[in-house]
Amino acid sequence: MNRIGLVGEGLSKRYEDRYVVDGVSLQLSPGRITALLGPNGCGKSTLLRLLACLEKPDRGSLLLDGRVLIPPYEGSRQAPSPWPHVTLVFQQLFLWPHLSLKENIRLPLMRVYPETWKEQLHEVIEVFGLCEFVGRFPNEASLGQRQRAALARAWALKPRYLLLDEVTSSLDIEQVGFLKDQLKLLKERGVGILLVTHFLGFAHDIADDVIFLWSGKVFESGSIDLLLHPETAEFKRFLRLMDTAPRNHGTSLQH
Amino acid sequence: MNVLDILRSHKTEFLVGIANTLRLCLLIWPIGVLVGGILGVAGARFHLAIGKPSQGISFVLSGVPILVLLFWLHYPLQALLNVVIDPFITAVVALSIVNVFLVADLIRGVLMDFPAQYLLAAKVCGLETRDIVLRIQLPIVLRQVLPGLLVQQVTMLQATLFASLIGVDEIFRICQRLNSEIYKPVEIYSALAMLFLVVCLPLNGLALWVRQRFTRNLSER
Repeated sequence: MNRIGLVGEGLSKRYEDRYVVDGVSLQLSPGRITALLGPNGCGKSTLLRLLACLEKPDRGSLLLDGRVLIPPYEGSRQAPSPWPHVTLVFQQLFLWPHLSLKENIRLPLMRVYPETWKEQLHEVIEVFGLCEFVGRFPNEASLGQRQRAALARAWALKPRYLLLDEVTSSLDIEQVGFLKDQLKLLKERGVGILLVTHFLGFAHDIADDVIFLWSGKVFESGSIDLLLHPETAEFKRFLRLMDTAPRNHGTSLQH
Repeated sequence: MNVLDILRSHKTEFLVGIANTLRLCLLIWPIGVLVGGILGVAGARFHLAIGKPSQGISFVLSGVPILVLLFWLHYPLQALLNVVIDPFITAVVALSIVNVFLVADLIRGVLMDFPAQYLLAAKVCGLETRDIVLRIQLPIVLRQVLPGLLVQQVTMLQATLFASLIGVDEIFRICQRLNSEIYKPVEIYSALAMLFLVVCLPLNGLALWVRQRFTRNLSER
């Protein structure tokens, strides 16, 4: 395995007596988009939190461009923080409710880029088309607007590895198309992206690789073409179910 | 003789009463907020060692009327210890105990219910612990605590009336004494109500304003 990238080796996480993530090894490479697929409850979000160093794995290790990460980082001065080089956009977004959308983007930006934050803030508002509603508080914005703001907050921090948990869930077709463009732009800039999504067409359009997680384990992984030629019965069944499920993006695959 | 005449003609007595009531409040409020705040934060941080016992004491206290607590601290306890304590001090101690545990309960509850995900989101955005506490956690907690805290302090102000029953010369006792001298209950107690309204309404209004102005932004979770 090439050491450059965000690498998880044999990651396992147990809640009570059940392994939610069980011996998962994966690599996020710069400039590549990986789609993480799997049914609800298969451990996708937990895996994302492990990769984002928000939780300590019970087994396994994590390397960021060859450097071993030892999460969690609370109060630890032994190792430099991996954030925001690795950052995560949560499914529930978690925009800070007492700050406007603009302040949500500005606060981390000011801390991480104290010299250039003004220009970057202006740029991100422009790029994400937030001008009209950026002054609103999260509770005053629509879910789609909040989602764009949360993405913009992560995007503005120029992460090397971006983890996205179900960020397409409440976007309309136009916004998904916009998101695709932004992710492609990030990819061109060399950002490694791990994307959890239920929209196969979306994954197929932008991802280079795919990982299929089932009961906390990697069942299949490889090129995105696996979506068209799955090998295991579980992945085939999952793809069939997803293909027939109602969705709002019209991005199904034909199997 | 109307209410204003009563207030005018017995200005000195009223001022002494108000001064004593405010003295009580100026001790009870900061003690409750500071000690209760510390106890609440400690209770949230060390839930088993501090939070649970504090919750237990608070539960017991909630079953004891303030008046009974005041009387118990003033009469039987002093008799048991064979000491004489100024009723003003007894009132401060009794009301402060109640206030401390009420504030601690409020703050502990808000801290323990605080959505940790806001902090995780701050971490992955590269904010340092100091910023997370000062810019994320503290403002959200204050917005949630402040309205309840203000209303609670108004309740404590109203509870100072009980201090009259152990001999503290606060405003209610002054009114009782005045009434026994001139017997004008309607005017005297109306004047008392007016004085309380003047102090309590702005505080309640402030609590309402804080709730409407700031807590509305917390509804999106």
